[in-house]
Amino acid sequence: MADDKLLVVDNLTMYFHTRDGVVKAVDGVSYELNSGETLGVVGESGSGKSVTALTIMRLIPMPPGRVEGGDVLFRGESLLKMSDNEIRKIRGNRIAMVFQDPMTSLNPVYRIGRQIAEPLILHKGMSKRDAWARAVELLDLVGIPHPESRVKDYPHQFSGGMRQRVMIAMALANDPDILIADEPTTALDVTIQAQILELMEELQKRIGSAIILITHDLGVVADMADNVLVMYAGRPVEYGSVDQLFYRPLHPYTWGLMDSLPEYDVDEKSKLCPIKGQPPSLINVPSGCSFHPRCPFAQPVCSTDVPEYRIIEGGHGAACHFAGDPGFTRAEASPVPVPAAEEVAW
Amino acid sequence: MPIDDKTLVESAREDDSAPIGHHLETGGTPLDQVAAESGEGSRTLWSDALRRLLRNKLAVIAMAYLVLVTLLAITAPLWTKQLFGDPMYADTTKIMQTRFLPPSLAHPMGTDDLGLDTFARVVYGARISLMVGLLATAISVIIGIVLGAVSGFYGGITDSVVMRLTDVFLAFPYILLAILLISLMGMGLGPVLVAIGILGWTTIARVFRSSILSVKQNDYVEAARAMGASDLRIMVRHILPNALAPIIVYATMSIGGVILTEAALSFLGLGVQPPTPSWGGMLNEAQSYVVTQPALFIWPGIAIIMTVLAFVLLGDGLRDALDVKVSE
Repeated sequence: MADDKLLVVDNLTMYFHTRDGVVKAVDGVSYELNSGETLGVVGESGSGKSVTALTIMRLIPMPPGRVEGGDVLFRGESLLKMSDNEIRKIRGNRIAMVFQDPMTSLNPVYRIGRQIAEPLILHKGMSKRDAWARAVELLDLVGIPHPESRVKDYPHQFSGGMRQRVMIAMALANDPDILIADEPTTALDVTIQAQILELMEELQKRIGSAIILITHDLGVVADMADNVLVMYAGRPVEYGSVDQLFYRPLHPYTWGLMDSLPEYDVDEKSKLCPIKGQPPSLINVPSGCSFHPRCPFAQPVCSTDVPEYRIIEGGHGAACHFAGDPGFTRAEASPVPVPAAEEVAW
Repeated sequence: MPIDDKTLVESAREDDSAPIGHHLETGGTPLDQVAAESGEGSRTLWSDALRRLLRNKLAVIAMAYLVLVTLLAITAPLWTKQLFGDPMYADTTKIMQTRFLPPSLAHPMGTDDLGLDTFARVVYGARISLMVGLLATAISVIIGIVLGAVSGFYGGITDSVVMRLTDVFLAFPYILLAILLISLMGMGLGPVLVAIGILGWTTIARVFRSSILSVKQNDYVEAARAMGASDLRIMVRHILPNALAPIIVYATMSIGGVILTEAALSFLGLGVQPPTPSWGGMLNEAQSYVVTQPALFIWPGIAIIMTVLAFVLLGDGLRDALDVKVSE
C-alpha cells in the first residue's frame, strides 16, 4: 500500500557531526502526505522543521550531515537511496521548494523570465524560446501585472511580495507533486502574507500539488493545513488533523504554543503566556522528554524516560507520557509546583 | 490531477512540441521580441552594464582617452617617422640644432637631449606601457582566477595550500622580487612582462576566492540546487557570473598599477632597453636635465599619470555599472 502514498517519511533521523558534538537535528520524524493535501510543520526556531525538509530534498551537505536511520519514500521510491542524478530529476520537477527570503533567493544577474525558464529547460528540455513564453504565462498565473514586460526585469526591480510570487512561479513551473514552502511568508509584511497564502491555496487547487508548509505561525496552519506536525528539538511531539490538533491538543508543548498566541477577543487584562525558557541545544538534548525542563506538568518520569509517540485517537498522536490521560487536557491540567531550585536553573 | 480551467500549465505539459506561439496570440507579445529577449541572458546583463557605464561621465572620458591612446600607440609606426622624425635614431650631426627645442608645430612636445621628438617618443612609450599593462594583467588574472576558483569551490586542504602559497608570495616585497626575477631572466620587455604577470596574481586569487565564498552562501545557489541544477551548472551559471564582477573591476584598476610598476622598473633600467622609448626610461633619461629642461620629465610623467588615472576611473565606473543593485 505504501506505493500509493505520495510521500512517506518513516522514522527519519539525521544528525550533524560537528566539532562540538553530534547535533540531533532530525530525530525520528514520521509523516505521510497524499496528493492535494497540506501538511503544516510547526515549531520554534531550531526545532528541525526546515532541516527535515532539506533532508527530504537531499539538500543537506553530507558530511557534516548524516542520515542515521529511517527512510523517505516518494511514490514508493526511496529518495535517500537515489543517485545524485536521479534526485536531481526530482528536485524542481516533482518536488519543488519555496524559500523563506525572496529577497535573496533570486539570482541578481538574470532576468526574471530566464530564472523561471530554468527549471523548464532543465527538466522539460524546452527550448529557451518556449520556456520564455511559458515564463510569461506563469508570471500571469501568480498574479503579476503586465507579465510580458515584467519578465524582462531583474529581481531588484520587484518588491518582496512580488519576488515571492516569482519564487512560487518557479517552483510551480513543472507542476510539482509536492511543494515545500519553508516559511514562505515570514519575510513579508502581514497584508502581503495573506495574499501569498491565498495564492498558494488557489494554485494548489489548480495544479493539485501537495504542500508541506513549514511555519511557526499557528494561525497560518489553522487556515491552510489539513494535517499538522508539531516538532520540538528535532523530534515530532504531536501529529493530527487540524481539527484534532486545535480542538483537542494532546501535548503540553502544543498547549504552550497556543497559550502564547495573542487572541483578539479576550479582555485586555488577560496575559500572554509564553513558554518559559529556551529551546534546548540540539547537541545536549535533555534526558527523557526533551521538553521536560520547560514543561509545567513535568513528573519525575519525564526526565528519565523518553516518551514513545503514541496514537491516541484516529491518527492523532503525541509523544508525551500523559497524553490522552483523563483530565490531562489543555483546559484541565494543573501545573506541577516546581521546586524553587529548578526554577532558578531555568 | 483535476484542472478545471485551461491554464496553460497543462497544455504546455501535455504537448511539449506544440508551438507556443498560439498561447501568446491573446497576450500580444511579439514573438520576435520574445525570442530576442530569451537569448543569452548574460549578454543582456553586459549590455545593461554598458548602458550604465556610458552614463558615467568620468568613465566615458577615461574610456575615450584610453581608446585615443591605444589608437595612437597601435598606429604609431605608420606616421611618427614621417611627421616627427624617427623617435629612436638620432642624427648626431645636427644634434646641436635639434636638441631641446621648445614645443612647436613640428615638435608638439619639443625635442629631447638627442634631438628626438618627445611626442613621438611618448606615443611609442604608450605601446610598451599598454602592452605590458594588458598582457601582464592577463597573466595575473588567468593564474589568479584558476587558483582562486579552485580554492573557493573546493575549500578544505586545497584552499589552505593555495592560500598559504599566496601568503608566501605576498610576504616578499613586490619590486624586489620582480627585480630578482628579471635579473634571472635577463632584462627587456619579455622578462618584465612575465615577472609582473606571475607576481600579480596573489590579490586576484584572494579577491576571486572570497567572492566565490560569499556568492556560494547565497540563497539563490541553494534555490538552484533545490531546482535540480547540477554542480557544474550551479558553478558556471549561478556562482561565476556573480563572482566575476569584482575581478573585472580589480583587473581594470590593476592595469594602472602594472603600468606604474613597469615604469618603475624601466626607470631603474631593468625594462625595455634604449633606444626603444618607454615612459619609465624617458624619466630616467630626463634625470640629468631636471632643472634645465623640466619638459623632458613632465611629458612622460603626465602620460603615466593620465593613463593610470584613466584605468582607475574606468575600473570605478565598471564597479558601479556591474553592480545590478546600485543602478536604476
